[in-house]
Amino acid sequence: MMKTRSTNALANGIENGALLVAFAVFAVFLLGPAFYVFKGSFENLSVSLISSDGGWTLQNYVSLFQSGYFIYVVNSLVVCITATVLACTISLFCAYCLSRFRFKGRGFVFAAIMGGQFFPWIILVNPIFIVFARTGLINSQIGLILCYTAFITPFTIYLMVGYLTTIPKSLDEAAIVDGASRFTVVTKIILPIMWPGMVAAGTFGFLQSWSEYLLALALITDNAKKTIPLGLYQYFGDVQVDWGAVMAGSVVATVPTLLLFLPLQRKLVSGLTAGATK
Amino acid sequence: MTLSPKMRTRMTVFWMLLPTFLILIGFYLFPTLYNLELSFSDITLLKLKKGGDFVGTTNYTEFLTSSSFRDIAINTVFWLTAISVSVRIVLGLLFALLLNSKFLKSMRLTTIARLMLLVPWATPPVVAVIAWRWLFDPTYGPINSWLISSGLISDPIAFTANLATVWPAIITIIVWNTTPLIGVSLLAALQTIPEDLNEAAAIDGANRWQQFRFITLPYLMPTISVLTLMSVIWTFNNFVYVWLTTGAGPGTFTNVLATEVYMKAFIDLRIGYSAAIGVSMAVVMAFFGAMYFRYFGLTEMQDKVG
Repeated sequence: MMKTRSTNALANGIENGALLVAFAVFAVFLLGPAFYVFKGSFENLSVSLISSDGGWTLQNYVSLFQSGYFIYVVNSLVVCITATVLACTISLFCAYCLSRFRFKGRGFVFAAIMGGQFFPWIILVNPIFIVFARTGLINSQIGLILCYTAFITPFTIYLMVGYLTTIPKSLDEAAIVDGASRFTVVTKIILPIMWPGMVAAGTFGFLQSWSEYLLALALITDNAKKTIPLGLYQYFGDVQVDWGAVMAGSVVATVPTLLLFLPLQRKLVSGLTAGATK
Repeated sequence: MTLSPKMRTRMTVFWMLLPTFLILIGFYLFPTLYNLELSFSDITLLKLKKGGDFVGTTNYTEFLTSSSFRDIAINTVFWLTAISVSVRIVLGLLFALLLNSKFLKSMRLTTIARLMLLVPWATPPVVAVIAWRWLFDPTYGPINSWLISSGLISDPIAFTANLATVWPAIITIIVWNTTPLIGVSLLAALQTIPEDLNEAAAIDGANRWQQFRFITLPYLMPTISVLTLMSVIWTFNNFVYVWLTTGAGPGTFTNVLATEVYMKAFIDLRIGYSAAIGVSMAVVMAFFGAMYFRYFGLTEMQDKVG
């Protein structure tokens, strides 16, 4: 009797040890790459491969911003924030209508919104490029903003519809009886209540556009208009990679997304797989 | 002029929906149809002003019979999509099961694990590629220096330039960047399984594998299928990982449909031909999209709002 108990305890111990080891392997896999980039961004890498003196330095960041990285950061902020605000405004009204009214074409809008989330943008690059080339929107931030607005709108509508269904319709009706217009209802009553939902949708939209690469690559060639993802790849020269600058630039590109992601994570998961887990 | 309340509501709905309709038409519907038109023409970037001539299905037959078609199709379907999606589903499932195990839960590691998952998840794909290119780098990269110092290899391996390692390298990057979503979603689904189901099964003599096979897995299956389908759709037409890791190289060894569309349009300047490849991709995607709608998509969103 004693013996089986001690072998059981041993088996348990081995199993728990194995679980911990597996956890550690996952931890290294998940965190290792980010850790090395972070570490590398503070090391002196650019001189030569042997001369890594092991000291910490801010030199990578200093030379990164001296070489004009700042302009990419500003461009990214301008484009992504404008697109996010536009998309959220458009989505708010659309989501409101979808959740409150039945109208012709409602099914089409639903289908388009679900489809839009998975739309292969690689296919749209050619036609959009031609239209933009003919209308002078190549190398224009307005063009990129329009694309990103269109790119993030389906998902922001989707998130907001979910949020709006939790707000009782009796609220709007009471205001309508008091003589408020629908527009006032949305801006004065609905918006304050669904502010958290707006923030979540906006954060998501911002993150989406912040890391977008393909459209920016096709539409922007002027260095002064480039966004962070494009700008980062400037430092991969034809012959030699300026690793110090690339690492520092990567850290600058990732810190905002990490900070924004933190509060958003749970919401995103429940939104994405809601249909499957209900 | 005064409008009846019903008309007024109609007008309001119209104005509120107008911007969305403009976006859907201007950036989704019109470009898709225009792309279809382009695919039947010989338009190039050089004669953009003049436009192209109608050439029928020449672009399609040229692409489908071209010598590179087979390789591109295999790369896209097998390596980029099938392998990378399977690996991330399996890894995500393993990680979720691990975090849901009694022992790790009792160690209170779940919150830390969520934070750990956040790091690759929040990393923009561009930066994910950079991070791994650094790890894989033959002269500076930590992986090569470990392998050399541990005596496993004597010369550094250029992981992203070597034919034997380039696909596994690309897949590693995709998996690193996209597995967290799978892991977190599956963990959330695992946590909805009632505890007493497994206990009852254990009392009836089911071993752990049987519990997993006949309780956990069936419970997770809807989530696994929606995640698989979503991942397939996202990955099949993904451009950024392959392009930034290898530029479709060495040579055209890792060329996939998305990179072929880009290269044909913006390097060879053959917009029409590139559009035909895009339309071919869209047809495949439409099939998966229809599956998604059929099983999960439309019904779910409409159920929610009624």
